[in-house]
Amino acid sequence: MKLRLPGLGRAGAPVVRQAKPPMIEMHGVCRSYRLGEVTVEALRDVDLEVRQGEFLAIVGPSGSGKTTLMNIIGCLDRPTAGDYSFAGSPVARLDDDALARLRSRAIGFIFQNYNLLPRTSALDNVSTPLLYQGVPRRERSARARAALEVLGMGDRAGHSASELSGGQQQRVAIARALVTRPALILADEPTGNLDSASGADVVARLHDLHRSGHTIVLVTHDADVAAAADRQVHVLDGQLVA
Amino acid sequence: MSTLELVGLALSRLGAARLRATMTMLGVIIGVASVVALVAVGDEAALGVTRQLQSLGLNLLTVNPGMSASTGGRPSGTAQTLTLDDAAAIAGVTGVAAVEPEIAIQTQLTAGTQSVTTSVIGTSADYPAVRAYALTRGSFFNAVSVDNSLRVAVLGAQTAKALKLGSDAIGSTISINHLPFAVVGILEAKGTTGPVSNDDLVLIPVTSMQHYFNNTPRVRSIGVSVASAGQMTEVKSWMVQLLERRHATAAGGADDFVISDQTQLLGATNSISALLSVLLGGIAVISLLVGGIGIMNIMLVSVRERTREIGLRKAVGARAGDILAQFLVEALTMSALGGLLGVALGLLVSIGIGAATGWGFVFNPLVVLVALAFSLVVGCVFGVWPARQAARMDPILALRYE
Repeated sequence: MKLRLPGLGRAGAPVVRQAKPPMIEMHGVCRSYRLGEVTVEALRDVDLEVRQGEFLAIVGPSGSGKTTLMNIIGCLDRPTAGDYSFAGSPVARLDDDALARLRSRAIGFIFQNYNLLPRTSALDNVSTPLLYQGVPRRERSARARAALEVLGMGDRAGHSASELSGGQQQRVAIARALVTRPALILADEPTGNLDSASGADVVARLHDLHRSGHTIVLVTHDADVAAAADRQVHVLDGQLVA
Repeated sequence: MSTLELVGLALSRLGAARLRATMTMLGVIIGVASVVALVAVGDEAALGVTRQLQSLGLNLLTVNPGMSASTGGRPSGTAQTLTLDDAAAIAGVTGVAAVEPEIAIQTQLTAGTQSVTTSVIGTSADYPAVRAYALTRGSFFNAVSVDNSLRVAVLGAQTAKALKLGSDAIGSTISINHLPFAVVGILEAKGTTGPVSNDDLVLIPVTSMQHYFNNTPRVRSIGVSVASAGQMTEVKSWMVQLLERRHATAAGGADDFVISDQTQLLGATNSISALLSVLLGGIAVISLLVGGIGIMNIMLVSVRERTREIGLRKAVGARAGDILAQFLVEALTMSALGGLLGVALGLLVSIGIGAATGWGFVFNPLVVLVALAFSLVVGCVFGVWPARQAARMDPILALRYE
C-alpha cells in the first residue's frame, strides 16, 4: 500500500497549502458497540475535518465518546458507519495490517499513562516505532537520540521508565511519538497523570511541535489544556457540539 | 524486523526475567540432558561390550563338547567327546590361524608361603594368539616346551598377585599339586567377563598336563582363531563337516559338539541396545512434552502480563505478524537455549559415566542434533498458541488493560 502524506517540510518549516485535501476527513462517522443484546452508540454522525498543520483539541467529559473518536482518528479502530479518510486513505476499508502500517508511518501517539515499556531504556523505548518500520539499528538509535534531545532528555537516554519522573516519562513518550516524523501527533489526556508544572511543560512542548509544523490532535477534558489549541471541538453524548 | 533482532529482543527479555526463564527451561534442559546422557551411556556400554568381546580373542570360534541347546541336547561340557586329535585336525582346516585345546583341573598352587587353589589349564603355545592375551613379564612357553612336556607355567595376573609374585617372578618356582614348575611368563590383566575372571588361571603345556596330572586325550574346549573375520562362517561350516566326519555323526543326527562365536553375544547386546533406544525415545518425547507445556504455560502468563506492551507495540505500528513472531521467537529462544544447556549437561554426565565405568566416551552428533531439533519443534508447537493470543489482541483493549 502506498500512502500519500501531505507535504511536510523539513523540521521547522511548515508547508501549509489550503488546496490540499484535509488530513482528516470524517463524514457521518458512527461507532456502535454491541454489549450483549444492547447496542451502544458511542459516536453518532460525526463530521470532522483537520487540516495539515492544525492544532485541534477535542474536549468532552468522560463517557462523551471522545476516546472512541480518538481511537478512530488514530486508526486503532474503524467506524461502523460513515466515511473516514486519513490523508486520502479510506480507513474503514483497510485491514488490520494496513491500519498498522498507517499508524507506523503517519501517527504518533501520546498517552495519559505514558505506556513506556518497562525495564527498557528511554532510547530503546523511543526507537521502538522505528523497529516496525524496518529501520536499521544504527539509524534507529541515532534518530531516537535526536528525538530525545529535542525533548531535552538526551542525558537520560540510558534510564528506564522506573528511573524517570512522570514528567520525564511523558517527554520520552513525546519523543517516541516524534521519532517517526509522523503526519499527525495524537495526544490522549497527555497531562492527566501529571502535576501542574509537568503538565504545563507537556502543553508547552506540544505547542513547540505545532509551531515547528506538526499537526496535533489533543484529547482532553481539561479546558485549560484545550486552550492551548488553535481550535476546539466539543464532544457530548457521542456527538460533536458547536 | 529481522530474525536476529527478534532473537536479540527475546534474549534481553529473558535476561530481564532470568530466574523465571531458567525455571521454564528446566523441563527442556532435563529432557534433553537425559536423552543425550542415556544414549551416550548406551553407546558407551555397547562399545565396552564389543571391546571386551574382542579382548576375548580375535575372530574366535570355540568348540565345546555336548549338544547345542537349540537341538534340545545336554548342555555343553557334560559330555567329553572332543580330543586332542580333533584339535590337531582342526588346525589343518583352511583359514584356521591358530588352535588351542584345553584340558583343565582345579588344584592347589604354592609359591613360598602363599597358597591358592585355581584352575590349571594344559594348552598349546598358540593360547595367547587365540585368546588375545599379552604378557606383562617373560614370555609364553613355545612349541618345543609343549613337545617335551616341560614343567613350565604362565600365570594369570590375578593368580600371580595372589601368590605374591612380583618383578622377580620369572625363573622362580611354584608348585602345582606339589610338583615344581618354573614360571616363564605372567599374562596381562583382562578383567572379568560377566562373573568370570579372565586373570585367575595357570597355563602349562598340554602334554605336561597329560603327563603329570590328567592322562586323558579329552579336552574341555578347543579355541580356534580364524585368519580373517570374513571367513568365520565358511571356516565354521568346514569345522562342522570335519568333526561330524571324525565323530561319525549319523546324517541328520545331533552333533556331539557345539561351535560358538561372538556374533550371538553381539546379537544379544544389539537387541538390548535397540530396546534401550525405544525406551529412551519414549522418555525423550515425554520429558520434552512436559518441558514444552512448561514453556507454553509461562508464555501464556507472559502474554497476559505484557498486554499493555502488546497494545503499545500495536499502536506504534506492529502488525499481528510482528507480535506473533516476537512471542514465538521468545518461546523458541527459550527452548533452544534449554536444548543447548541440556546437550551440554548431558555430555558432561556421559563423559563422567564413561570415565567412571572405564567404557570411554562416545560422542554421537546425531543424538545432539536430533535433541536440539526436537526441542526447537517443542518450542514452536507450544509457543504458537500463546503467540497467537498475543497477536490477536485488540490494541485498544490491550492499551487500557490494568
